[in-house]
Amino acid sequence: MTKKIITVDKLRKKYGDREVVKGISFEVEKGEIFGILGPNGAGKTTTLEMMEAMRPIDGGTAVIDGIDVASNPYEIRRIIGVQPQTPSFQDKTKLVEIIELFSAAYGEKVNPMEFLEDVNLGEKADSFAETLSGGQKQRLSIAAALVHNPKVFFMDEPTTGLDPQARRNLWELVQQVRDKGVTVIMTTHYMDEAELLCDRVAIMDQGQIIAMDSPKNLIKQLLAKGFKKKQHVEQADLEDVFIDLTGKGLRD
Amino acid sequence: MKKKWYTVAVFARLNTRRFFRDRLALFFGILFPLIFLFVFGGIFGHSSGTSFKVGFINESTTAEAKSVANELTHNKLLKVDKDVKTAAEAKEKMLRSQLDATIVLPKDFGEVKPGTKTPSGTVQVQYTQNGESAGSALTSIINAGLQKENSKYVSTFVPFQAQGDEQHNKSLTQFDYTFAGLLGFSIIGMGIFGPINVFPELKKQGILRRFHTTTLRVWQYFISTMISQAAIGLVSLGIMFIVAITVFHLHVVGNWLLIALWLVFSITMILGIGLAIGGWAKNERQAAPLSNIVVFPMMFLSGTFFPRFLMPEWLQAVTNWLPLSPVIDGIRLITTEGKGLLDLGPQIGIMAIWTVVIYIIAFRVFRWE
Repeated sequence: MTKKIITVDKLRKKYGDREVVKGISFEVEKGEIFGILGPNGAGKTTTLEMMEAMRPIDGGTAVIDGIDVASNPYEIRRIIGVQPQTPSFQDKTKLVEIIELFSAAYGEKVNPMEFLEDVNLGEKADSFAETLSGGQKQRLSIAAALVHNPKVFFMDEPTTGLDPQARRNLWELVQQVRDKGVTVIMTTHYMDEAELLCDRVAIMDQGQIIAMDSPKNLIKQLLAKGFKKKQHVEQADLEDVFIDLTGKGLRD
Repeated sequence: MKKKWYTVAVFARLNTRRFFRDRLALFFGILFPLIFLFVFGGIFGHSSGTSFKVGFINESTTAEAKSVANELTHNKLLKVDKDVKTAAEAKEKMLRSQLDATIVLPKDFGEVKPGTKTPSGTVQVQYTQNGESAGSALTSIINAGLQKENSKYVSTFVPFQAQGDEQHNKSLTQFDYTFAGLLGFSIIGMGIFGPINVFPELKKQGILRRFHTTTLRVWQYFISTMISQAAIGLVSLGIMFIVAITVFHLHVVGNWLLIALWLVFSITMILGIGLAIGGWAKNERQAAPLSNIVVFPMMFLSGTFFPRFLMPEWLQAVTNWLPLSPVIDGIRLITTEGKGLLDLGPQIGIMAIWTVVIYIIAFRVFRWE
């Protein structure tokens, strides 16, 4: 039996009269990559922000590693790392300094180079943050979110806007983070990404979870209902062509 | 607790370094106040004592007229406008207040009039309604000057007279007031315009919000900002002092340590206003009008650009209580009058009250996004 690290129970959020999260409940196991999928406006980001203690919880509870989010926001912040949708950093600040800032924010002193090398940014250590490409910024953001050894790592649409190479690289990074024992909660629009990375996914629509299981099981259930996809005989798709032509190497 | 201050120290150090890498910030933080210093120093730096700008028209050709003309043009109190040649030109300039008065020696000046033995004449001092005080002062100055001329012809005994006696005490010059005001202006620039421009931008980009996901506290962020602003401020104001002393001959009699402490205290208090507005505003559109409401009254009523003693008394009494007034008064009292902390009780009191009030507001209204 694996240990539950996150328990969300009947979580609710209202903006004015509109209820955007309608009493959702789920549990996440330690060391798993848990995906929250759903169309825009489904309530994914709001759910994440309530768990991150960034938004007041209107109803229900979220407990991470035995700590209630609503009543102990600062203790929660100490054990979670957060990757925002669009990472941005203050300008005129070197990458090493950014890592230094974030570790200092937790009162910690770390070796910034170690963290930068983990995300392949060692060579850029003395560059200013504003000179980075989108993919590099995402990687820096991951490094910055892990400086304090969090137990849970939240990622909000981490690969949106990245080129195929950068996406693949980021997937590898996410898996490395998981392999270190960090539990990862991520939202995404990309089903291939979820299928590849996530141990389990919750599919949200209109503030509710409408399905939750491993990607494999969800597919099985659909097939069991008699669903048939138009058959494709090709053994490759355009993305395979693109990667074959341009290689997997990072381009930034 | 040690860890919490480590956070403050790192944020203060890296943000200070960041300021000195930012050319735009350097321009507005350091060069911009210097430009003001040169402009205002140029206007007020050299005006030592009173003098009158006058036009001088000599219509007479007599030796006496020449002698009087020579006397007047070399009088220290008169600045003769050499461009003025005719009465019409003089009148026009007087109407535009470019001249205080016009001195005319009429055609018959210095001639020996029928029935008299000595040359005589009347110097005309012409002035407009607005120049009344200048006109009457000039009249008596010229009368005094003419006595020398008169004594050539008639010996006079003057039983009662007044004599000026310069006390060799240095009084405050206009520049002393101007300089204190300019430092105040510079402190406003750093303490208020800095944060209200930076914070909404940091919010827009989600940078503050990102820090909010960490265990960083508002007080840590505020104190680190305070430290780096104080450091930057001392550099910027220090440069102003150097320029004022070397270029405009500012005479500093105060204790330098006390001056530095006073400036740090002032920056801290004024920065609180910037933190409150910038921390509250969600974007520039909210920050700009509010900061104008707060800054403009201080700019014009606290003695930034012209000294407060020129104001009517009731206005001085009111403006005493503006946060910037004790800052500027204190700078002048310490720097040019050599006053100590004990003399600055009222100023310290007002600033302490404001500091508490401002920071309570700033902490209450701060928003991370």
